[in-house]
Amino acid sequence: MEQTRNDPITLEIIQNSLQAAADEMFAAMRKTAMSSIIYEVLDMGTGILDPKGEIASSGAGIPAFIGVLDKSVKVIIEKFSQPGDVQPGDVFATNDPYYGGVTHLNDIVVMMPVYAGDRLIAWTANIAHHSDVGGMAPGSLTGEAVSIIQEGLRLPAVKIIEQGEPIAPVMDVIRVNSRMPDVLEGDLWAAIASVRIGARRLTALAEKYGTATFAAAIESFMEFGERASLAALAQLPQGLFELTEEQDNGQFYNVKIGISKDRFTVDLRDNPDQLAGPLNASRDGVMVAAQMIFKSLTDPYTPANGGSFRPIELLTREGSVFHAKEPAPLGFYYELELRVYDVMWRCLAKHMPDRLAAGHFASVCGTFIGGIHPDTGRQYTVIEPQLGGWGAAPGADGNTAMFCGFHGETYNCPAEINEARNGLAVDRMELNTAPGGEGKFMGGRGIVMDYRVRSESGFLTAGYTRSKFPAWGVAGGHDGSPNYIEFIPREGERQSFAGVSGLATGKDDVIRVFTGSGGGFGDPRERERSKVEQDLRDGLISGATAREVFGL
Amino acid sequence: MGQTVIRAATDVGGTFTDLVCFEIDSETGQSHVRTAKSSTTPPDYEQGVLDVLSRGDVDLAAVGFLAHGTTVVINALTERKGVKVGLIATEGFRDTLEIARGNRPDFFNLHYVKPKPFVPRYLRRELPGRISYLGQETARLDLDPLPGILDDFRADGVEAVAICFLHSYANSSHEEAAEAEVRRLWPEIPVVSSHSIAREWREYERTNTTVLSAYVQPAAERYLHRLRDGLSARGFRGQPYVMQSNCGIDSLESAARVPITMIESGPSSGIWAAAELGRLIGDTNVIALDIGGTTAKCALIENGNVRIVTDYWIERDRKSAGYPVMVPVVDLVEIGNGGGSIAWVDEFGKLHVGPHSAGAVPGPASYGKGGTDATTTDANLWLGRINKDYFCGGETEADMGAAGKAIAEVGAKLGVGADEAARGIVRIANNNMVNALKLVSLNRGFDPREFTMVAFGGGGGMHSVALAQELGVSKLVIPADASVFSAWGMIMSDLRRDYISTHLMELSEAAAADIENALAATEKTAKAQFGAEGVSPERLAFQRFGKFRYQNQEHTTEIELEGGPVVPAGIDAIRERFQAAYEREYTYRLNAPVEMVGIHVTATAEVGRVQMKRREATRSDGAAAVKGVRAVDYALDGVHEATIYEGPRLAPGMEFSGPAIIEDPGSTVVVHPGNAVRIDGYGNIIIEIRN
Repeated sequence: MEQTRNDPITLEIIQNSLQAAADEMFAAMRKTAMSSIIYEVLDMGTGILDPKGEIASSGAGIPAFIGVLDKSVKVIIEKFSQPGDVQPGDVFATNDPYYGGVTHLNDIVVMMPVYAGDRLIAWTANIAHHSDVGGMAPGSLTGEAVSIIQEGLRLPAVKIIEQGEPIAPVMDVIRVNSRMPDVLEGDLWAAIASVRIGARRLTALAEKYGTATFAAAIESFMEFGERASLAALAQLPQGLFELTEEQDNGQFYNVKIGISKDRFTVDLRDNPDQLAGPLNASRDGVMVAAQMIFKSLTDPYTPANGGSFRPIELLTREGSVFHAKEPAPLGFYYELELRVYDVMWRCLAKHMPDRLAAGHFASVCGTFIGGIHPDTGRQYTVIEPQLGGWGAAPGADGNTAMFCGFHGETYNCPAEINEARNGLAVDRMELNTAPGGEGKFMGGRGIVMDYRVRSESGFLTAGYTRSKFPAWGVAGGHDGSPNYIEFIPREGERQSFAGVSGLATGKDDVIRVFTGSGGGFGDPRERERSKVEQDLRDGLISGATAREVFGL
Repeated sequence: MGQTVIRAATDVGGTFTDLVCFEIDSETGQSHVRTAKSSTTPPDYEQGVLDVLSRGDVDLAAVGFLAHGTTVVINALTERKGVKVGLIATEGFRDTLEIARGNRPDFFNLHYVKPKPFVPRYLRRELPGRISYLGQETARLDLDPLPGILDDFRADGVEAVAICFLHSYANSSHEEAAEAEVRRLWPEIPVVSSHSIAREWREYERTNTTVLSAYVQPAAERYLHRLRDGLSARGFRGQPYVMQSNCGIDSLESAARVPITMIESGPSSGIWAAAELGRLIGDTNVIALDIGGTTAKCALIENGNVRIVTDYWIERDRKSAGYPVMVPVVDLVEIGNGGGSIAWVDEFGKLHVGPHSAGAVPGPASYGKGGTDATTTDANLWLGRINKDYFCGGETEADMGAAGKAIAEVGAKLGVGADEAARGIVRIANNNMVNALKLVSLNRGFDPREFTMVAFGGGGGMHSVALAQELGVSKLVIPADASVFSAWGMIMSDLRRDYISTHLMELSEAAAADIENALAATEKTAKAQFGAEGVSPERLAFQRFGKFRYQNQEHTTEIELEGGPVVPAGIDAIRERFQAAYEREYTYRLNAPVEMVGIHVTATAEVGRVQMKRREATRSDGAAAVKGVRAVDYALDGVHEATIYEGPRLAPGMEFSGPAIIEDPGSTVVVHPGNAVRIDGYGNIIIEIRN
């Protein structure tokens, strides 16, 4: 069975096997990780790349991580370009957006070259959010950083394992820079196991079918991705679309999207200069946002690969919030990427309502809570994105309580596990019935969740967006409701905010998270009466809203 | 001649209710098998069972053992034919059922539809009261609102009540009190509390399991009780047993209390049969593969043990989050790939097989019942792997015209002829199954080359040689009577309950006593439960497992705790076993503290198992069973003149080699060139794969 065989069925079988290998890498990482942000929230991604670093196949996880891995691998290939630089058994890592890391320092990308004999046939890679990589604040994320230096240890595309042997000094440096060294080490090894397992499968595959056939399968898979994208692109309304939107922080973001038969051009040049604080994004990160909206618009049902994204052209201005220059901090990059994703979505939604629903709560609502577990005495750090409401579409109410568009196969943390692991009390987790999202079709509901702190000397950090300007409605549907936090100290005044850094917390203080409803679609007075009655009966709307907004 | 022992198994499927009755001579061990079939009779399923027993002419008074399997529970769930459920949750958590976990597997699809909860919001109510994760009461349970809640439930036509409170796995007193009060206030209503089904943490999974159990409870309970009454009215004097999802059987009474545990009873009996067959022939490491009409299922059996897990979902796939069911279910992978799976070409010219199936109506194109889609069966027929002159055991004439047309249409989209398209369909179908088989073996660190494959179901023999070759399996077994194999598994099952519960503690010498206490307390509970049903403690056999992880991890690795009580001196050995198992699966180990997260105790009792007897084998070349020769297309292995053997005429001791085809009324075994076949003393077809 060693002969070269390039028939379509063989290629298809290899492609399916690549998908299976990427999924297996994902499962291995999930089962071995030590941080709940990885094993429960699944803030991670896995992928297989060709020898040039193009995405050949991606595992489950979060869509926002799929377009990251190629950029990281390409930086490694460029940096380690001399003969002998890359050897079988080597493993590389980067976390620095200025060195192919794309996102922020918490996300470590681990990459492994894959060989069949002595021939490089592919790369396996994964990315995951690590709980603490050092820096000025616990959890490494803080709104107060003014330079990336303050956001943690920088791994500027380095080798961490040489021909199977961990490079001890590098591993020691990584470990000693974390406030949670055991967890960081455990998670890093989970990532290494994941790329090794993937590499093993690929080697077997290439040996079985031959390296030429293996390479042909990857190439044809990418061509397929490009063809699928181009075919769908041709179905979209063509033209130049533009939107400028005011943000919670007073800035105005502008996007111009040009759609032609074979090109999807996103122009973000006309945007504010980068900020002193961490609400900036790298150009690579903004590219990921463009890739995501493009994929959802064109071909959401087949797996993404490098070919899928070939029609995208991105224009940015270096030194702007969407193309930050070193050493700008990037800790909260994800909110900014999500903003630009949402602005692109909104820009196109009114022109293609059959493809794009009304706005969703559109914030990661990253919530960072830390302190000492009152029962075990151990340090804990909660890093949780929150669930919120999705927008309505013609013919369908929005989904209730889902992670934002940047997350995908992501799971929230059960209250029972939160209480045991972190020593917090979760006093409630229920639907947020605040007014908002009314329409012929309703926006889905966000949530209200109470974390009650059980020990002294803790902290809270958060940075939510869509707090001042909630999810947008479409075609007469109402806007959704805001995302924010209410802090209810045991003594003293309640405060409400969308962002806070290192707020001191004490015993019996309550951190109440509110996430918003998605936007509604269509005039609420046109909503089917039986549905209004059901919403009323379910306590999702008040009698007054039923009468005044829905005209019941 | 000794005494005749009669053991019968009935199985209620979606369309037919089947009977398999084994009459076994207790001295010679020779068994005579009788089968019968009748229509399934919804909603009074018991009628179909009683019908098939009389059609099979079974003298119930003489039946010593009767086991019953059913798809009634899974069908009621997937067809949404349960009752209106009211849920009572902890204050602040009534929306847990709807919030679920927030995941979106189909993540680029912005029109994803989240699975709808089985209980609407207005029927989800709350009671104050809290238990901590340590099992301590931190707020008193307040039952005062309960009468009002139940009044509302009555007014809204609620037919079953589910109760799930936070941390009830650690302390069930609040759930017990609420359940007792509901029973007092409303004695007629079925009530299900989470702690009586699942004793593990994760409130959404436990709540959903409780709700689904309540949803199917009234109908399943009614049906099982009518079955019991109908059987005894017809003279049955024994205890009817019900097949469970954990590869064991349970008493009918126990199954009627928690019917949700029957959810995967069908696949579980087949997998158990594979485990039993392995034991019988001396191969305790088995990959079980069951290929049916619409799906293929596979599971790994290590040292004769099936792996039982509680992370099971219905309606879950790459497109949907599905619904979790936290009950002990045999760890299997199921994919939408069977004989009836439809082959299709997407808009970019890529060939796919499944998950859609042509079903029984219209069925594959070759059935000639109007089906126009090419299926895996059509491709097998086209390639000569299935005998067109002996289609469906000779009961149906194969419509080669329709099959050829359907396959040619697939080929046209691929730009190839019908032969090439048919080969493609078989290869893609095989690849789908290979990936599923890897999930249960390679992905968990097991090398399939060290396992024997047992393949059954209508398509088991058709594809398994190619699959075994691909995976490097060297020994493949096709059971003697593949059509009654699952039923045989049912009658070979033990009474079995799996007790799985969360207990978080460090794995240290100091904790040995606590671990031992948790295990012993569980065994005591098991003894009391079985004792109340007339199974004395000395008949029970226990297996103990612990679920371990490195501190800070979440997911666990289950390790058997052999060799008597857990004592401080044995802790190091347990840690080492965990580390070794962990390293096998994940390639590395850590120098980090190890925690125990939970325990798993299985309690089993034999209910008189049958001893199978080996028949005298005489060496022969199988010529007596040859019925002819025909050209067969083995896809990648080329076209060969294959010798055709008649399955029913194969006898112990016969040996021959591929290329060959073995034809049975119910199935076909495709033996590739170079493989050696022998028939063992039990009539099983043993195929030695030469890679």
